[in-house]
Amino acid sequence: MKKRFSRRDFIFKSLGLTGGLLFFSPENLFAKEKSVIFVAKGKDVAKTTRSCIDAIGGISKFISRNDIVVIKPNIAWDRRVEQAANTHPEVVAEMVRLAYQAGAKKVKVFDNTCDDPRRTYKTSGIADAAKKAGAFVSYVNDKKFKKMMIGGKHIKKWKVYTEVIEADKVINIPIAKQHGSAILSMALKNWFGAVGGFRGRLHWGLHHSIAEIAHFFKPTLTVMDATRILINNGPQGGSLKDVKVMDMVIASTDQVAIDAFCAKYLFGIDPYDIPYIKYANELKMGVMEIDKIKIIRAT
Amino acid sequence: MKNLRVISQWLFFLIFIFLFVQTTYRGVDEISYPVRIFLFFDPLIAISTIISSHRIAFYMIFSAITLLFTLFMGRFFCGWVCPFGTLNQWIANLKKSSSLFLSKRQNQLISLKYYLLIFFLASSFFSLPLIGLFDPLSLLIRSFTIVIEPIVSFIFSLIFEILNLLGFRYAFDINQFLKETILPFREPHYIHFLLVGFLFFIILSLNFIEKRFWCKYLCPLGALLGIFARFSIFIRYTGDRCNLCGDCSNVCPSNALILPEKWLKSECFFCGQCQNICPKRDVHFGFVKTKKAFYPSLSRRRFISSALGGFFFSFFIRIDPVKKKKDPFLIRPPGAISEDEFLKRCIKCGECMKVCLTGGLQPLFLEAGIDGIFSPVLVPKIGYCQYYCTLCGQVCPTGAIKKLTIKEKQKIKIGIATIDTTRCIPYLYGVDCIVCEEHCPTEKKAIWFKEEEKVMKNGKKKKVKLPKVDPELCIGCGICEYKCPLLDKPAIIVTNLGETREEENYIPIPSI
Repeated sequence: MKKRFSRRDFIFKSLGLTGGLLFFSPENLFAKEKSVIFVAKGKDVAKTTRSCIDAIGGISKFISRNDIVVIKPNIAWDRRVEQAANTHPEVVAEMVRLAYQAGAKKVKVFDNTCDDPRRTYKTSGIADAAKKAGAFVSYVNDKKFKKMMIGGKHIKKWKVYTEVIEADKVINIPIAKQHGSAILSMALKNWFGAVGGFRGRLHWGLHHSIAEIAHFFKPTLTVMDATRILINNGPQGGSLKDVKVMDMVIASTDQVAIDAFCAKYLFGIDPYDIPYIKYANELKMGVMEIDKIKIIRAT
Repeated sequence: MKNLRVISQWLFFLIFIFLFVQTTYRGVDEISYPVRIFLFFDPLIAISTIISSHRIAFYMIFSAITLLFTLFMGRFFCGWVCPFGTLNQWIANLKKSSSLFLSKRQNQLISLKYYLLIFFLASSFFSLPLIGLFDPLSLLIRSFTIVIEPIVSFIFSLIFEILNLLGFRYAFDINQFLKETILPFREPHYIHFLLVGFLFFIILSLNFIEKRFWCKYLCPLGALLGIFARFSIFIRYTGDRCNLCGDCSNVCPSNALILPEKWLKSECFFCGQCQNICPKRDVHFGFVKTKKAFYPSLSRRRFISSALGGFFFSFFIRIDPVKKKKDPFLIRPPGAISEDEFLKRCIKCGECMKVCLTGGLQPLFLEAGIDGIFSPVLVPKIGYCQYYCTLCGQVCPTGAIKKLTIKEKQKIKIGIATIDTTRCIPYLYGVDCIVCEEHCPTEKKAIWFKEEEKVMKNGKKKKVKLPKVDPELCIGCGICEYKCPLLDKPAIIVTNLGETREEENYIPIPSI
């Protein structure tokens, strides 16, 4: 009988592989190069997303045939699109379509929400849009969390959603917004939606938690939704007065650089004033120095 | 007749289950067919609500249908429609012998339910509506919500957990699918489930003492319908071939045929068992003029004493100190009318608890007095009130919780959060936290923070974000208490201070 590749095997092997990669520190290699940020601007959200991905070299650079892809948007809050608390559904849908175009076998979309998931999936418009694009949209299942070694100084072990670990490729699609305690919530903070447990406790020493949890996940690509950003009353906002329309979609393979860039150019906050970006930089996850980041505008 | 009856029972039971299952949030903001439709047809609830709250509402028309039908046809409701009656009958079918345990006292017990009805209606009249506790439909919905559904949900979880361990890959996905369609979305937990469950299982197991014990001796709705059934024109009669063999009275699950020759009109469920068993095939039902009708005898003395009992009991419970000052944690759902009126209307059916998105609505015990038993209260530690949800008001059958628009709901205070600075982590240890601020759902956050310098143990100064509550903006939804990382006892706690529904419970606005 053919021996099957079991889930446990897979997790151990992928963990081993990540461990090995960590050991060789490929980030260091990348860090020597300039990190590149791709910015696309335009009113049509789907088109902007597509042109941003085109600029970065096309989706097939990241996704291969028969890949199982997890797309992780921010669906945390029971808020509508224009309230800018969740990722724009069109960005999610477009990424799903692109992933299928690249030959992905299955594209999964989910988020561990803050409000009731039945409401947030619906109100945000993401569930409908992603389903229409062909994605498998699911609510997170409590049983599918596994305690894993995060390996940070602050967070040693935490419950992680296994579907993220098991996926071949992971694409992080956060929204850029203000956040009371994290100052800004962007790519790195978005990984809180892929962990379980009592996440309130991650907020003690929040900036360390964000950096260390994000360090655990290795996204293939980060696509930032900055079509509209929340500048006040974050992370869930509610009032349209707090929303600023930017019409931008930003993509990068470096999650630290994309956060640093967005902090600087979208919110006017020096990345050095945001501790978690500093910690992430110290963990050698990416580049935070703006002058070392190359910015390419997609047209 | 028997077959028809069985079909009808199944039909109504399935309708009940269908309505029950879909009385929850399934992706639409409005629930079109909540299970309260059953309660609309319940004349006992209508009458009791009219008596206690002195108000007539439109939905009571439906219960008039039941009454009119009973007036002409008799207690068909009990034998053919009532889902609780059906459930009782199924349990009774498990009992082999049909011997009457209470046969000797049957003649006296037979009128017990009428006295209970009088007792409840009398106490209703003096503003103590206990009827919801014992109304069969309300009792059934409550017990299903608080006990049966959680048990079913846990059993399913267990089954799929085992399947997963056995290597069935899609076990959790199927479980999840069921949770999104028929099972409760999140596994429900209710306080006082023991009490509700105990009452429910006692009533069901009474069937082993005597078949359909509840329906025969206790059910106040049965009593009410029995009174109306006295005038019905649809009757059971026997022909000339009847030799009083007594087979019919042996199988009769109601009290209608204690003696085969004496058919008690007001007790018959029209189940058709007697017709089925009759060796002579000589039992008939139809619109026939009877020579003589029999009814259970009600003694005037007992009638008056149960009415007086209800009267005194309604005053007796007012001794309770909670009637003087409310429990601080008595947080009623948004849209609840002022407490006195609320208790007069609430029939404790538990529908609001079932639809509550977060499972935060819980049955009370004695915190609001005896008349408040099993009425809903928000326990933020278990679940909070979702900012965009108005489901509880939509399903309330008696208007104890008003139906609100989302705009209205977002303005109603059900209480106010206060921070326990002796426990709150930033205040106590100088560690940043403000999870409460992050989750605060109001457009302008009711929870804000002030950066202050704290002197640490080693003499160093540290800037800490200290959370504060703006009582003007806070609506008491309790998400802060629910999400507070202090798992033992949250450092931010909601009490019913400042609730909109009680004018005298206002707070000063600190803007000055």
